[in-house]
Amino acid sequence: MIALWVVHLDGVVTREFQGRHWSVPARVFAAPLELYVGAPVSAGDLEEELHRLHYHSGDPSTGPGVYLRHGDSFDVQARRVRFSDELREPTRVSIRADSGSITELRLAGGAELPVFRLDPPIVGSIFPVHGEDRLVLAPADVPPLLRTGIKLIEDRRFDEHHGVDVVGVLRALWADLRAGRVVQGGSTLTQQLVKNYFLSDEQTIGRKATEAIMALRLEAHYSKEEILVAYLNEVYLGQDGARAIHGFGLASEYYFAKPLAELDVDEMALLIGLVKGPSFYDPRKHPDRARSRRNLVLQELADAHVIDPAAAKRAAANPLALKPPGGGYVPAYLDLVRRHLKRDYAEADLAAAGLAVYTSLDPRAQAAAELALTSNLKRLDTASRARGSHLEGAVIVAEPNSGDVVAVVGGREVGADGFNRALDARRPIGSLVKPAVYLTAIETGRYNAATVIEDAPIELKLGDGSIWAPQNFEHQVYGRVPMARALAESMNLATVRLGLDLGLPQVVETLQRLGLESAPTLNPSLLLGTVEMTPLEVVEVYTSLANGGFRARLRAVHAVLDEQGRPLKSFKVQVEAAAPPSAVYQLDRMLTLVTTRGTGRDAPAHLPRGTVVAGKTGTSSDTRDSWFAGFTGSYVAVVWVGYDDNRVTGLTGAAGALPVWADTLAKLKSTSFQPVAPELIEDRWIGYGDGLETTPGCSADAVMVAVPKDTVLPRKPDCNSSPPAPASDKIKEWFKRLIH
Amino acid sequence: MVQTPHSLKTRPLALIVTALIGAVLLGACAGPARLTQPPDSPTGSSPAPNSAPGTSTPSAASPGSPTPVPPPPRQNSLSPATLSLVTQARSLLAHGEFDGASSTLDRALRIEPNNPLLWIELGRLRLAERDPHQAEGCSRKALALASGDPNARRQAGRVLADALRAQGHNQEAREVESQPFMN
Repeated sequence: MIALWVVHLDGVVTREFQGRHWSVPARVFAAPLELYVGAPVSAGDLEEELHRLHYHSGDPSTGPGVYLRHGDSFDVQARRVRFSDELREPTRVSIRADSGSITELRLAGGAELPVFRLDPPIVGSIFPVHGEDRLVLAPADVPPLLRTGIKLIEDRRFDEHHGVDVVGVLRALWADLRAGRVVQGGSTLTQQLVKNYFLSDEQTIGRKATEAIMALRLEAHYSKEEILVAYLNEVYLGQDGARAIHGFGLASEYYFAKPLAELDVDEMALLIGLVKGPSFYDPRKHPDRARSRRNLVLQELADAHVIDPAAAKRAAANPLALKPPGGGYVPAYLDLVRRHLKRDYAEADLAAAGLAVYTSLDPRAQAAAELALTSNLKRLDTASRARGSHLEGAVIVAEPNSGDVVAVVGGREVGADGFNRALDARRPIGSLVKPAVYLTAIETGRYNAATVIEDAPIELKLGDGSIWAPQNFEHQVYGRVPMARALAESMNLATVRLGLDLGLPQVVETLQRLGLESAPTLNPSLLLGTVEMTPLEVVEVYTSLANGGFRARLRAVHAVLDEQGRPLKSFKVQVEAAAPPSAVYQLDRMLTLVTTRGTGRDAPAHLPRGTVVAGKTGTSSDTRDSWFAGFTGSYVAVVWVGYDDNRVTGLTGAAGALPVWADTLAKLKSTSFQPVAPELIEDRWIGYGDGLETTPGCSADAVMVAVPKDTVLPRKPDCNSSPPAPASDKIKEWFKRLIH
Repeated sequence: MVQTPHSLKTRPLALIVTALIGAVLLGACAGPARLTQPPDSPTGSSPAPNSAPGTSTPSAASPGSPTPVPPPPRQNSLSPATLSLVTQARSLLAHGEFDGASSTLDRALRIEPNNPLLWIELGRLRLAERDPHQAEGCSRKALALASGDPNARRQAGRVLADALRAQGHNQEAREVESQPFMN
């Protein structure tokens, strides 16, 4: 009977342990920072990035992950790192940077290096519902100090026993019997591994016997080395919300944000000490307990002559030096990654197959967007009369040419999983819809920025017999205005009249070409943005505008590699023509007036002086939704602010979403929006109020617009033509613009 | 809890490799001869640090500036960083490593997203990958970005015509080829 049972357990042990594959969640990497001469990375930025990647200051010849800064020169020993397309061995580089950019880049030998990328930062993992996350170590990855230390603290006779330490077990049994319950472990590493790997948490004498037999069988079949490495990968070492930290590889990243091989003695001692009770000795919750436990481990290491007593003493004086908690966990972005990958991979593979996922995430943009949203919502809450209620918001930032999504914030609790407003909050977009109306107009060839349209009251009888009488935001009526002004000041009456003239199906068709996936009902109110979209869908549409009329498939994931680093799948840049580039160029130039003259004119105040931005505010009925969508030369970004329960916010797009947008873009190094002018388009000065061609000298309200070449524009009386500027002035002007 | 990687939906690699090699051979008309040469116009004076060629056009309005100035003729060029990546991408392509070439051009695009020469390069790669639809998108974008640069427009136009022809749109291809900028 007992023999049969042993045979059965032996089968379990060999079968499961032989084919063991740790369930390793997919690891998600952000985009690496590219360094090259001229890259907009200052010496300060570079050092900050090295810290973010947990490089530390020291002698770079001692090993990877170390850098030395001397003024504006950096000597860096870059780690061995796997990119989506290359495995790079440790590389020593020297980098010079001034206060604005990289000025020199060389290999240690002195050879010039045209381009060099830093490590892609790990930003998280896609772990399964039961929450087990780990980074698997190969035997060669196990530092000698860990090998020796774990045996010393947890199982001194590991190298001698055969899975069960009889002396230890008897001692434990005796204690248990005396107490009438299980009070003492006395388990070997092998038993602990068996317990975690094969058995439940139940503490009974019978289970103890099963554990002991399985431990003995495990030792009979496998080497000490295999068992030790398996143990180091299996052991539970902490909890991060729903995520269970397993194994020393991940624990090192989780507590110190560096690879195990780079840990100092005190850091390693802390991890070894944690095995005894990861929550009781949790260094973040109970730093004093953790510190004394660590120092006890250091003492034992010194007593056993594993480390020098003086070194132990020094290490014991060190503070805990933990990685700041939470920081860098980007649930909303990971959510986008997960959805992107679900098209190609089963959930179980994402959670367990050890994939490496390379994304477009830019941690700097992500941090900027998170800070801009949280700080502005806090400010707006304080100013709001609705006490006790909390505004919510969402931000998405993308690179318009490639469609790469660089940041996603799904709500003000930036580090928490939960409702992802950036992807799932479907709300009326208000005036964000208007550019589609004006683009439709320009595409007909009958309208341009200077065309005068009518902002006058209008009443429509709808299909259900009701009367619809839209109003301007502050109930004024502007009369005859040029299109450029009607869009800049987001005039409702002018837009409704224009849209009806063009036809609702035509406007919807434009929206769909730009990226709208749904088919809204053809109700005239859609011209004022009753159409509902998620921030992600809005980014899609505005990316087409920022991208000169080319629709770029939004991309979070670039590549997926398997556990061995072999490429499984790559996602390429995809662009296709969505609207004529010359029409989009004219519209985009009108959108720059929104931020200089119109509803978005507060935007430039947040940005470096002279930065040209294009964008549009949006406010849904009764200010339930506050939107801003816009772009610079480098990024397109969309912000939504509102209440989850759809209450009135009292905030226009300019008051709520715009400051979040502008603060986000201000933190990013962003170039001006200065698209290349299509060959058949030219710049002309018109009066902002009347649309007549003029000159800045002639009209105080002259604005520059882009119109098709040789368009006949009515001229302002007494202002026939601008005096031809002398050629030398033109050249001077041209140089001035080049410089600024 | 235990998953083996074998349950992944892996792509039939052998098939793809075969297809890729075929594409390289068949794509000869798309101009691999050109692809293995250095970029067509990398010799223009290097742009000032941190100014992507597409972003320095003086024709765009800066608010408050007086009269419109006709843009000077443009010549786009690659910076040393993007030139090295393009060279690397071409060499990967020559070895049939399409994904590697693609991700290398991705890096270049992250550095100079508005440079039409990079979109021309990407268009050529898509042609070699037998993805003429995407080659069309890339070359149309290159054409738009190359406004004012006759040389770049001509190159973009060639890729566009090839892409159209590869999709069977021969008439449209001829129309592109008869555009003034093609001469």
